[in-house]
Parts: sequence; C-alpha cells; structure tokens
Amino acid sequence: MIEVNNLSFARGNILIYKDINFKISPGELLLVSGANGVGKTTLLSNIVNFTEPLEGNITYHGTSIDNHIASECFLYIGENNFAYDTLTLNQNIDYWLSVHNVNFDKFIKNKSVNFLFQELNLDKKFYQLSFGQKKKLQLLLLMLVNKPVWILDDPYSGLDTRSIMKINTLLKKKIENKGIIIVTSHQKINLRNYKTLQLI
Amino acid sequence: MIKNFLKLIANEFKLMLKGSVFSFVLFCLLIIACSIFSLSLRSESMGMNAPLSFLYIMIFFISLFKVEKIYSLDFDEAKLQQYILSPFSLEIIVFVKNMMIYLNLIIFFVIFSPLILIILNIDLSYLIQINILLSLSLLSIIFIASMTASITISKNNKLSLTSILTLPLFVPILIFSMAITDVIDFNTNKMYLFFVAYFLLNLAFSPLLTSFALKKLSV
Repeated sequence: MIEVNNLSFARGNILIYKDINFKISPGELLLVSGANGVGKTTLLSNIVNFTEPLEGNITYHGTSIDNHIASECFLYIGENNFAYDTLTLNQNIDYWLSVHNVNFDKFIKNKSVNFLFQELNLDKKFYQLSFGQKKKLQLLLLMLVNKPVWILDDPYSGLDTRSIMKINTLLKKKIENKGIIIVTSHQKINLRNYKTLQLI
Repeated sequence: MIKNFLKLIANEFKLMLKGSVFSFVLFCLLIIACSIFSLSLRSESMGMNAPLSFLYIMIFFISLFKVEKIYSLDFDEAKLQQYILSPFSLEIIVFVKNMMIYLNLIIFFVIFSPLILIILNIDLSYLIQINILLSLSLLSIIFIASMTASITISKNNKLSLTSILTLPLFVPILIFSMAITDVIDFNTNKMYLFFVAYFLLNLAFSPLLTSFALKKLSV
C-alpha cells in the first residue's frame, strides 16, 4: 500500500501543492488529474523519491520511500523519452532491460514487442521513429520489467486509439495481478474502477 | 545481476563506439593544433618540454569536451530518472560511463600518438612512456571532469560557476604531467605511482560526488 500524508511541495518560494492525502492498496489505480502546472508530475517525482517534499511523508507498506525501495519496487515512465537516438530500437530495448537488470526470454521479448509494435522493423534507428512509436518503447518496459508499482506520467500522450486500448489492457492486467498504478492524465481511463485525485 | 552488469558494460561499449565520431573530430583538431604549434615555433629549439606541455593541455581540453558532451546527452532528465531507478546504483553507472569515455579517448590517443609525436618533433623512442603516463593521468582527468560536467549540466543549478570548484583538482595532474618532461629520461616509477594514487583517490569520491550532483541538481 502507498500512503501519502499531508504532503506539501514548494519550488523556491512558490507553493505547488499543500496537504495532499491518499492511500492506494494493491490492485488499485489512482488517476491524478488537474490543469497544467498544478503539480501532477511533481507529485509523481515526490512519490518516486526524485524530489523531497516540503512537508508530509510517503510510505510504501509502512516504510518511508527511499532510493532502495524506489529502485526495487517502482517503475517510472515520465513524459520525456529516455531512449538513445543513435541506437536502434532493438539495441535500445536491450540496453534499458540491462539497466533495469531484467533477464528476458527472447520469446517473451518478441511477443511483447509484437504486441505493441506489430510489424515495425526493430533495426530502425530510434530517431527515425514517430513520436507515438517512441512513446511505445517506454511503455514496452511495463511489459518486460516486473515491478509491483507503476508510476506513469501521461502515458496516453501521442498514442493512437488502438495503442491506448493496448495500454488499458496492460493496466487492467496489472490491477488484476494486485499491482499498484498511479497515472497522471488529462483524459479519463477506460477502466471500471479506479480512484481519482484532482489537484487544484 | 552480474550477467546483466556485463551486458550493461557491453551496451555502454556499443554506445561509446557510436560516439567515436566526436572523438575522431576532436583528435583531428588536436593534430591541426599540434601542426600549427610546431610550425609556428619551427625556428626555436624547444626540446621536449614545450611540445609535451602543449600536448597535455590539449588532451586536458579534449577530455573536458568529451565528458561534457557525453554527460549532457546521457544524463538528461528522462535517462537519469531511469538510471536512478535502476537496481545498479548511479555511482556504478557513472563509473562505467567514465571508464568507457576513458577507453574511447585512450584508443584514439594510442592510434594518433606516433603522428602527434612526429608533428611535435618529439623522439619516437619516448612513445611508450608518454602513452603509459598519459593513460594513467587521463583516468584522473576523466573522473574529475565528470564532477565538473555533472554540475555544469544540471538544470537546477542556479550558479553554474560552482563547477569552477573542481578545477583545482586538475592542478596536480597538470603539474606532474609537466614534470614528466624532466624525469622521463630517468626513473619514472614515482610518476606512475603518483598517477595511480591520485586516480585511486579520485575513484573513492568522484563517482559519489558526481552521482550526488546529478541526483540533487538534475532531477
């Protein structure tokens, strides 16, 4: 369970948000929504321990989240792409899986790649891909890196309807497997039950 | 874990090879600079001191450029976030990247060194000594430059002049490198030892400080 108590965050002298409270149990999804600039991405950064809050605390199963817990349990997919332009799609997949210490079966890897990319040539350089295709590489990690908590910052941006449906399938399966998901998005998620947090 | 670490090293090596074009350009510029230096002082009898000092200063700047370039590309916010969440600590990733930058530069130097020595009118019999001493000093230069780069590329650093704080750390390397010209004919063992010791000292704190700066200032 992730528990956030009285969380406040300030950047310089500007208070971004104050007294945020919520709990998410395994098998639940939290959608964080709100206008641009209200601190959705910052809230995720706080949860993953990239930045320290001004006040309040965040715990995962009762323990304060530190770098060790974050690296063991959290998979974070941010807004910006992390892939290397000079590497091919295939090389990028191999690189980031080794960074995340994932031993993958070639069959599972190919199946996951086909699920998201279909007939795309994996030997294409990363810079040759479209924005949506680049985004899919990030989301491919969701299928190949096994961590109990997914923190996703606007995962739908730049994706077509078909890809959005695939992402929703992944989210649904993760919830069924008792994973925890925190998503920021400007659009509603096409799933039955999920919690929402509106930042003002 | 070890298997994936080796895979990570192999992948970093691939990345390093992709970035070799920039190193090649830098070394071509070095050769042009050495040629100009040599031609402009052709009427002077300089011995080995001046050309070697010039070479060291140029190598120092090449290393700074290379490290800065790699760090600005490889540690942008999105990549850094993934590295922080990696089961491998950021210090290890910094260490691997530094070693790859080192390998990249030293391979180019070894290839280009005979030509550089000829251009600078240095006796080729010193080739091996110069290569060994430069290999050892370059290790420390890269690790110190990584600290400088981690501060200068940071987006949250309001005072980019902070990176100047690391510059005094280069001074012992440059002083000892210049001193090579005096002792190269004699017993150079002490020089080797100094560079090894200085590298070990850097190895102890440089990855820690670099990753600390990256975490605190760039995410």
